Amino acid sequence: MADAGETDETLMGRYARGDAAAFELLYRRHEMRIWRYLERNVRNRATADELMQEVWFAVARDATRYEPSARFTTWLFTIAHNRMIDSIRTSRPQISLETLGYEAESVVQQLTADPSAGPLAAAVAHDEAGALIEAIEKLPGEQRQAFLLQIEGDLSVEEIATITDSSFETTKSRLRYARAKLRELLKEHA
Amino acid sequence: MNEVPPDQDQLDDVDDHYRRASTLDPSRPSESVRRAVLVHATKLAAERATKKHSTKIDSTRPSVHQTWWRPAIFGTLAAAALAGLLITPQFLAHRAPPMAAFSPATPAARAPVIERSRDTIADEQPPSAVSAEVQSAAKHRVSARNVVPKAIDGYTRPNENGPAADAPAAIAAQNAPAASSGAKAIAPRTARINSPDSAISAAPPPAPAMLQAGRPTGSPTALRRAAEIGDIPGLQTSLYEHVDINARDASGRTALMLATLHGQIAAVDTLLAYGADPNAADARGTTPLQAALAADQRAIVAALTHAGAR
Repeated sequence: MADAGETDETLMGRYARGDAAAFELLYRRHEMRIWRYLERNVRNRATADELMQEVWFAVARDATRYEPSARFTTWLFTIAHNRMIDSIRTSRPQISLETLGYEAESVVQQLTADPSAGPLAAAVAHDEAGALIEAIEKLPGEQRQAFLLQIEGDLSVEEIATITDSSFETTKSRLRYARAKLRELLKEHA
Repeated sequence: MNEVPPDQDQLDDVDDHYRRASTLDPSRPSESVRRAVLVHATKLAAERATKKHSTKIDSTRPSVHQTWWRPAIFGTLAAAALAGLLITPQFLAHRAPPMAAFSPATPAARAPVIERSRDTIADEQPPSAVSAEVQSAAKHRVSARNVVPKAIDGYTRPNENGPAADAPAAIAAQNAPAASSGAKAIAPRTARINSPDSAISAAPPPAPAMLQAGRPTGSPTALRRAAEIGDIPGLQTSLYEHVDINARDASGRTALMLATLHGQIAAVDTLLAYGADPNAADARGTTPLQAALAADQRAIVAALTHAGAR
């Protein structure tokens, strides 16, 4: 039986040998990180759902080919990034600002409705969440991808450069500009 | 893009904002997606587990995934079968006995045929007992003896290449007692050779044209050598080439005697079936039966006895 203390790489090895519980544990560990990366890049819940399924299907199918020498998160986010780029390139219609606004509003409503949060906290959360979503949406695609890969995947600059097929310096610049723009947007919102 | 990026301390605030917002973000993948992913993964895991248990072979070896050996084996077997079909008939054709057949249905009728003259066969055999094929073979055998009439009289003619003008009469005289006893003596031998484990039984009868050739083309030395080493195909080839079956060497030993001395029971059987004289003694007067008894070759003793050896 899979142990929660086991590394991702060990769990992948177990799953490759037929241990379904190991996969479930892996899925629960990384579900939200992959989901946020996909959803905040494509800005469409249905598309993100579709990509989410494709990514994890690929992980399950290629488990026997996974080499433990590579970090599991690097492998996982590489799959997610490639799927997401393919999805964008196959002329999948970009999400309109109206749709994005609707989804942002939906998030805000859900946050506000959280009974554990007091009225003040809910208001703060409302502001922060809304502002952040707007700020990320306004980032250029390459900066947004680099920022989300780093913050969701805990990937190094080198790893992000490899995944996005960019140079180290370019990737580093993208990350700096992304954060600067987010900070500026948040200041404006404040 | 000309703006200089801020330093790292300021960036940490942005990351904190993002993580806080992510924690509060209730957005989740659809439950249907989660279920589909887990079901799919479980199915694949079950397949892998089943495969692992069924093969019990290290699946990391590349050869496990190769299937080339199956067509290779089938191809080899098919080639071997084809070669067997093409070669075997030719191989067996050389080993066909000069007699038409060794069918157990007419052993008693054929045994005398070996030793009798052409006219005797024509007069004595009822039409229903001997087929035309048998008669043809018998005629050939007799004609072969007429062409190479030698060595039957043993010690008086140790030289196998001696004159043969009076051979027909000598053969008739020599074989007169054998013809009467040979009917019952050789019959079991032919039946024995006709057993399923004998290659002779599978051999087709020789072509009449070849049997009618008459003149010996083989070597008596080769016949004796084949008898000595138990080379049945070689023995049959020599007989098929009309070599005198009772030809003797310098010591007066026939092929049957040599086969007996070397314990070659199969060769003894074959020679007896082809009509070798079971009582042809060597220059010292030793008969094959005596030699077999001295060597305690019980199977050969039995065979010779059945063939009328004394």
